[in-house]
Amino acid sequence: MAKRQEKKAAANNVRSVDLVEVERILAFMEKHGLEEFEVEGPGTRIKLRKAFSGTAAPARVFHPVESHAPAVHATPQQSPAPSQAKPAEARPAADLHLIKSPIVGTFYSAPSPGAAPFVARGGRVDSGQVLCIIEAMKLMNEIESDVAGEVVEVFVENGSPVEYGQPLFGIRAQGKK
Amino acid sequence: MFRKVLVANRGEIALRVMSACKELDIRTVAIYSEADRHALHVRFADEAICIGPPRSSESYLNIPQVISAAEITNVDAIHPGYGFLSENANFAEVCEASHIAFIGPSPALIRMMGEKDRARAEMGAAGLPIIPGSDGVVPDEDAAKSVAAEIGLPLMIKAAEGGGGRGMRMVRQKRELIPAFLTARSEAQQAFGSPNVYMEKLIEKPRHIEFQVLGDKHGNVIHLGERECSLQRRHQKLVEESPSPVLDAATRERIGKQVVEALRKVGYWNAGTVEFLRDDSGKLYFIEMNARVQVEHPVTEMVTQVDIVKAQIRIAAGEKLETAVGAFQPRGHSIECRINAEDPETFVPSPGRITAFRVPGGPGIRVDTAAYADAVIPPYYDSLIAKLVSHGRDRAEAIARMHGALDGFVVEGIKTTIPLHKRILVEPDFIAGKFDTHFLERLTAAPAK
Repeated sequence: MAKRQEKKAAANNVRSVDLVEVERILAFMEKHGLEEFEVEGPGTRIKLRKAFSGTAAPARVFHPVESHAPAVHATPQQSPAPSQAKPAEARPAADLHLIKSPIVGTFYSAPSPGAAPFVARGGRVDSGQVLCIIEAMKLMNEIESDVAGEVVEVFVENGSPVEYGQPLFGIRAQGKK
Repeated sequence: MFRKVLVANRGEIALRVMSACKELDIRTVAIYSEADRHALHVRFADEAICIGPPRSSESYLNIPQVISAAEITNVDAIHPGYGFLSENANFAEVCEASHIAFIGPSPALIRMMGEKDRARAEMGAAGLPIIPGSDGVVPDEDAAKSVAAEIGLPLMIKAAEGGGGRGMRMVRQKRELIPAFLTARSEAQQAFGSPNVYMEKLIEKPRHIEFQVLGDKHGNVIHLGERECSLQRRHQKLVEESPSPVLDAATRERIGKQVVEALRKVGYWNAGTVEFLRDDSGKLYFIEMNARVQVEHPVTEMVTQVDIVKAQIRIAAGEKLETAVGAFQPRGHSIECRINAEDPETFVPSPGRITAFRVPGGPGIRVDTAAYADAVIPPYYDSLIAKLVSHGRDRAEAIARMHGALDGFVVEGIKTTIPLHKRILVEPDFIAGKFDTHFLERLTAAPAK
């Protein structure tokens, strides 16, 4: 995948940026395999940050959703007698509000590699707060929570591909403090 | 050759493309809307991605979602099937920009054939006969007379700025011409604010004849013979066959050559279908070209033994026609019935759960379908649930086999057009090969016996 440089030059209070200098810094970063480079001087601050890792995420194989066989007589599957130990990934609790992916793309839990994730299990979120980024066709889409509450579940790993409707977060909705 | 292909479609054509991929050892990725969660194309693909809610505009037609699915599964190519994005030049361009091969012609060719006026102009310039008509607006009575002399009668006068039957007049006799011309102009002025009209030869009792073509990226173009698709209702084909029962060998060869030459001139490659109307004197006129694989491609496959979808994939991967298609010899006759989930008399769509499903078999029978017992036919997409194809040594045998197959095709829980197909197959005019594009309207206007 093509590498993209996010140039954050010409931020507030920064004087004119010497693009030749920027090119040299980019070459320097390339040479030393740097993800991020920041330099500050009188009147100027330059910060260059690579877009998410250029290596393609390992192809995750999406297996077709389990559906009953297209046989002539489909008898409803007998559910096994409820046993004691239910796996942690069992159907989310009824009061859990699911945030599902509205698009197909790659899920990122943090604004950049190495940065702290937007939210973590146990954390509080407000309605409208950014929970994650889903990258699709080279565009970063910020996914916001539509409820306030506690993040009980994070269903997807950083860097994984996600499909439409895939549950990302489980939030126990609570009123704002 | 591609390692992995995403099929940007659903239903029977998705399965069709996937089976061609499997034969070529290519891994398949299916995309699906929430309404197709239990669809066969999802089940049989190597990977599957949900791309949106049921509505086509939010799923199968949603280019960013489709491309995104292709990216996260790391495919080499996308096959668009038919319908949906298959003739969307913009989509083909986005594929290119995303470094994904589009299994079909170039965006420029798709665009050319998609703009019908332009396609007619290009194909006319390239040597194909087009429907004679005025070149644009007919400005006055003198011009009307000279155009009429040129194109002959009967002819249609049509409003340039609108349709719906207004500002339209049919002219059968010379003495009707000027009165019709003047009336059409004033009607057009009233209805559309402009009196401009153009004139076009009226093809009465037209027959729809189309040629299947394949071209490679190295400039080679061939045709695989023609199909006749005159049995249509409201411009939707219902029964197709190859070869046409009315086309003689000399015309086939002549038009075939012209088609190949014209497409070579415009640099056409991958699959396509060149459509003509045939008038009752036997003349063929180009009307349009579809720059994709067609629904009715199986009848050509049955007659030529050429796998058109595999050829598409191989051509897209860079192969020349001699390996992508190879040598072939047309043999026998093939007929296809499109089985739709519709009331066979009112044509009201009949979505719902199929409770029993039994597909016929035996010699010379092929069924392309994504339906199965307990499947739910969703209301969001087209009503085609199966293509029943027969092949025989001659037309009579193809018809006989189709009879038996229709009798042995069991679909319960929803309504289908199978009863209508059974009616068509016993109509004397159908059996005699005597029909035109109005045949089905006439047949369905009369109540079923």
